[in-house]
Amino acid sequence: MIKRAVSDATEEISVSQVVDPIPQEGHQAPSDDFRPGAKGWLARAAAGVPLAALVLLFPLTQLDFVLTKYTRGITYAIIALSLNVLIGYTGQISLGHQAFVGIGAFTSAYMVSVAGQEFPIAVLSAMAVGAVQALILGLVALRVRGLYFALLTLAYGLLAEASLFKIPALTGGAAGQPAPKPPGFDTSHRYYYLCLALLGVVLWVDHRMMATKGGRALLALRENPRVASTFGINVKAFTLFAFAVSGVFAGLGGALYAHNESQVTSVLFNFQLALLFILMTVVGGLRSRTGVVIGGVFFALIGYLIEEIPHLPVIGTVLKFLVGILGWLFVDTLGLPELRIEVAELVIGPILLLLTLTQFPGGIGQQLRPFIQWFAGRPFDIHDRGAKEVQITDVRA
Amino acid sequence: MPKLGDLPRGAVGGASTIIVVLLLIISGNSSALVNGLVFGSFYGLVALGLVLIYKSSGVFNFAQGEFGTVAVYTLWILLERGVPYLLAILAGIVAAIAFGLLTERLVIRPLFDAPRVILLVATAGVALLAIGLEFWIGGALLRQVRPISGELGRISPFGVNVSDQQLILIAALLILGGILAYFFNRTNLGLAIIGASQEPTATELVGISVKRLSSFTWVLAALLGAVAGILSVPIGGSFGPGYLTVGSSGALIPGFTAAVLGGMTSMPGAFVGGAIVGVAESFALRQSALAFIPGPDKVMIFLILLLVLALRPQGLLGKSA
Repeated sequence: MIKRAVSDATEEISVSQVVDPIPQEGHQAPSDDFRPGAKGWLARAAAGVPLAALVLLFPLTQLDFVLTKYTRGITYAIIALSLNVLIGYTGQISLGHQAFVGIGAFTSAYMVSVAGQEFPIAVLSAMAVGAVQALILGLVALRVRGLYFALLTLAYGLLAEASLFKIPALTGGAAGQPAPKPPGFDTSHRYYYLCLALLGVVLWVDHRMMATKGGRALLALRENPRVASTFGINVKAFTLFAFAVSGVFAGLGGALYAHNESQVTSVLFNFQLALLFILMTVVGGLRSRTGVVIGGVFFALIGYLIEEIPHLPVIGTVLKFLVGILGWLFVDTLGLPELRIEVAELVIGPILLLLTLTQFPGGIGQQLRPFIQWFAGRPFDIHDRGAKEVQITDVRA
Repeated sequence: MPKLGDLPRGAVGGASTIIVVLLLIISGNSSALVNGLVFGSFYGLVALGLVLIYKSSGVFNFAQGEFGTVAVYTLWILLERGVPYLLAILAGIVAAIAFGLLTERLVIRPLFDAPRVILLVATAGVALLAIGLEFWIGGALLRQVRPISGELGRISPFGVNVSDQQLILIAALLILGGILAYFFNRTNLGLAIIGASQEPTATELVGISVKRLSSFTWVLAALLGAVAGILSVPIGGSFGPGYLTVGSSGALIPGFTAAVLGGMTSMPGAFVGGAIVGVAESFALRQSALAFIPGPDKVMIFLILLLVLALRPQGLLGKSA
């Protein structure tokens, strides 16, 4: 309005500046001096309180077996953050992450049930084993990169599935290894809050890592190891560091997963699980902490969501109607078998992955970026998609 | 002493083959040799498909096993309904080719300029999707398909019976390998594909559509996967979702190991690699000294892969980068 008052000559320019909402290439990030006013903070709090209540209070109203699923969502989020360190920060793909998680789970279960150790020691040893495993893998990754590294991790996952998880002393044979919940956190509700707190710790560690010199060194390494080393970055040390961090997260995720299930069996940790881990990390959005956590929780709960959504008002009715039409088309007319929930999970996940890769390479995190930035105290900008396109770097294979 | 990576490829390939064969004969493991060669030709077929895709598009195709499983499911459905065997095989191959074409159109082509690692994740996604669809159609139960011919011991080298189905599998590998060798060395289309893999821009400049060639190689790879699946399934006994990709029957990782061992871009290398991986695996399974390790065959495959990548990343017959 103010700009209307100035002379004709400048009007054209200023109006175009005001009206044109489409950002040019090299979209400018809002300046850092922006601070929301009192109203702005109030709006953010008003939006944040329901979200916090959903995470902190809503689980109190749920039954034990439902809460076990929510806790699984948290452990998956930790695992997704672990993969995010590898894929997002170092640009190496691990297709054998189920082995890391599985070994973490069995180590913790073994320490508690067989060795008779306390829960904290069990979890710490799972994290230590994860770090050692990841360091060995990291040493390999210094030599073998890209596609070949992915292949090697895949073969390692297969080896773990066929060999390591068949050692009865560690895994308790076909019956599995019991993994009781720790004393003091022995109800599903208390254990949920314990896992939530540990997820917070993992997020904080990840944030600190990326906000300091080490994180910037990792990102530089991913872009181009040669250039990075010219600038004095120790390629070997930082790659191994990232692998160790990823291994520690994976061990922690595995241990928490084990004690949540109360019993871990080797059949849980198969190749499909490794692919599911990749799915949730990539669909969640590489290098976006919020996106990755949402991805992990979403893929852990996808079966539960498919079960529950039809019970919701309005959305449920619409969905039931659509499913009814599809059922009539596929089951009654074409004679295909009914699409059960556990099958639907297997079909929906990969479709989401392929859509993410071909249409939205930044995943959920990139789509949610305007909201995340707004919560962090920046102005709301619906076109904010981050500094540049999110992609896994092209590693020379 | 020269490093292993610097030795000429003929010498390494020949020497390693001779060592493997000698070891087996000395240790009295001729049954491991024969069985290993049968499995080796199965792995060789899978490896050939992987090499083909890698040569033309530079992609590690994790959906290669699923091309075969889709064909196997089509075969099984049609055989259950009393369709003649040959017709069912043809339909299985057609289904696999359709699946390969769809993969190329909907996933590979939109990601034409994406990093190769993204494509790897995408093909793994395609494999997972196919496994999900197989769960839907066939359920989690293990199914069976009867062999083309029930004859079990027409010939028996070293006193080991080789069934007709196994002979057909080996013959298929040799025939397909021969056709492919002729195709890539003598025909215009084959040479165009090689050209497109080496210099895509120059190939476009002389008037060849690189994209159309890409579809064609995916069709060829799907066909190879289908043949591997259809001919191997009666030998293995039973199959379930993800038959060629996951679990104990999975040929994807042995196939990749064979391809890497052979040099990833070399078709004769895929043959040799398949044979070595098959023999080594069946040797590990039969060795009583290794019985204390659970899953010795999978450990063996991992070790082969690790050693090749560490000592001689260009494989036995591949050209040094």
